[in-house]
Amino acid sequence: MTQALLPVALALHAAGAAVSFYGELRKRPGWARGGALVLSAAFVLELALAALLGASESAFPLRSGGEYLWTLGCFVLALHLVLVLGRGLPGIALVLPIASAAMVFAATVVPSAQAGGAVAKSGWFVAHTVVATSGMAALAVAFAMSVLFLVKDRALKLKRSVRMLERFPSLETIDRVGFHAMLWGFSLLTLGIATGLAMQAELHRPLWGWSAKEIFPILAWLVFAFLLTARFSRGVSGRRSAVLAIAGFALGILTILGMPR
Amino acid sequence: MITLVGMNHRSAPLDLRERACFPEDEIEAALGRLTGREGVHEAMILATCNRVEILTRGDAGGAGPAVRAFLAQERGLDEEMLERHVYVYEELAAARHVFGVACGLDSMILGEPQIQGQVKRAYETARRCRATGPVLDRLVQHALAAAKRTRSATGISRHAVSIASAAAKLARSLFDDLRERHVLLLGAGKMSELAARHLSSQGVASLTIANRTYARASTLAEALSGVAIPWDDVPAALERVDIVLTGTAAAVPVLTREAVRRALQARRGRPLLLVDIAVPRDVEPDTNTLEGVYLYDVDDLQDIVDEGHGERRRAAEEARRLLEVEVVGFDRWRQVADLAPTIAALREQLHAMGREEIARFGSRLARLDAAERATVEEVARALVQKILHRPTVALKAAADRGEAVRFAALYREIFGLEPPGAGEEAAGPRRLIRGGKDE
Repeated sequence: MTQALLPVALALHAAGAAVSFYGELRKRPGWARGGALVLSAAFVLELALAALLGASESAFPLRSGGEYLWTLGCFVLALHLVLVLGRGLPGIALVLPIASAAMVFAATVVPSAQAGGAVAKSGWFVAHTVVATSGMAALAVAFAMSVLFLVKDRALKLKRSVRMLERFPSLETIDRVGFHAMLWGFSLLTLGIATGLAMQAELHRPLWGWSAKEIFPILAWLVFAFLLTARFSRGVSGRRSAVLAIAGFALGILTILGMPR
Repeated sequence: MITLVGMNHRSAPLDLRERACFPEDEIEAALGRLTGREGVHEAMILATCNRVEILTRGDAGGAGPAVRAFLAQERGLDEEMLERHVYVYEELAAARHVFGVACGLDSMILGEPQIQGQVKRAYETARRCRATGPVLDRLVQHALAAAKRTRSATGISRHAVSIASAAAKLARSLFDDLRERHVLLLGAGKMSELAARHLSSQGVASLTIANRTYARASTLAEALSGVAIPWDDVPAALERVDIVLTGTAAAVPVLTREAVRRALQARRGRPLLLVDIAVPRDVEPDTNTLEGVYLYDVDDLQDIVDEGHGERRRAAEEARRLLEVEVVGFDRWRQVADLAPTIAALREQLHAMGREEIARFGSRLARLDAAERATVEEVARALVQKILHRPTVALKAAADRGEAVRFAALYREIFGLEPPGAGEEAAGPRRLIRGGKDE
């Protein structure tokens, strides 16, 4: 059944992302609403597929790089729908649905070797994967807002057409939403790293092994720690903050390289 | 017949428009005199700074000359001169004009929203003194509703068409809520004052004014409910405000890149919008390269205004297309309403025939008792109703296709109905409901 539903979910996600993008770009509210509805359907189906996978294999469906990307794509899509349907935030449909679609499509091509039985049955494993994936989803929103900030900042500096400026929320809104997403993402990422260490300790494994899934989350954590400290202490925001947030998210997503494939 | 007689900024010079304009407190009395004239059954007067228009419904043949004479007489104008500067629209053209005016398509600033409120007030005044009736009620209400829908669909009034509104638009592009923003005005020139006034009207948190001559800053601050500061305090003010409007007459820039850069250190990353409407410029152009600083000079603002004009013209074309559908809708309603006398006459004629036939057979029906006689009368009435049903439906369908006049004439000829008399036209439909049925 999952094999039959997978292409439907992917097709809905791709179609929703494309329709939302077109609606946002051409300022067609009907298209944007239609895109959000299709994406909602895709989200429900993708979540159901993850649940079906977990039920069929009696295991938590976050055991491989592919499963991680699939769940991350679902979480990012959920946050997008909250921001669009709940907050009516314009412009975000130009970035987040495409990012989430890229994640779920990538999930289907990443080989899916899974974490061993002992690991997957650990309570710390469930806590670690859920918290860390939620953190990355929040950081994906910070990433999207940073992209929007850079585009709008450049348009304002170059005095581009007002029509172009109207496609995005005010710089202040972009910055505020991005900052809140960053705060949530950083907190969850910190918790994710802590629960990961607890899981390693429970399994009597070394706490540090120089693998990609240890190095990149720590590098991402350091970037966001520096960014938030600079923001609170010296008010660093704007372009520099956006560039650092994009870099931090990129480092975080590279964690996938260290996951079972 | 609906007739509109008027003049606007295109058809008449300002001094004539001034003289023709009805003071607000005289409109009710003027409407009373106008509807008291023979052949005028409904009326409304719209008097704004750019137009004077009198909308009437009167007898067939049109009330144009009578209304023009009324305007000349009321405002003490020469009728011959008036003839050169007024326009007269009748029936569908008049309705189309009213729809366009309500939507701002006939305004000096294309799509300006104030006209909608002015039309609404003019209509309320006319309604209050019972100068309107079913036709003008329907026309103006439909025009106002259509204008609202069209504005929303096309966003015609959203585009900035003045330097001041362009500055406000830029501010909204940076900040969420202007009510939390602090504005600094440098210089007390006319242009910067206008821009500051426009921003103030959006409800900014505070307005601080600095000028080389403190007294001028103080006077302007009083007029704009702002606060005047000495010129030397500008660097400190730069650290806390969000928007700076500059319009001094200085020959060299009064705000250097270095001064803004110093202020940025204390601003903790808050963005700063600099709107420089002075010529020569007040702010060094390379200030725009500072992070978090957005500098717009008068040419940049003019580009936004030009874009706004273009957008409004495009939106106006779309609005005209949308309004045409509404005008056709009103015309259909009007045609159905105009059929009411024909339908009533047809009904009356056939029922009369039924009654006559019953009377003709009176002697033979005399043998029947009262109940049987009532049944026969009921059969005759029902038969007439059945015969009437299809022609009535066909007539209304013809009205929906825009063929009411032709069909009404045809029916009158076929059934030998009298043409509608002056009395019928004068009375008009009593109260018209959706679909054109009269009650």
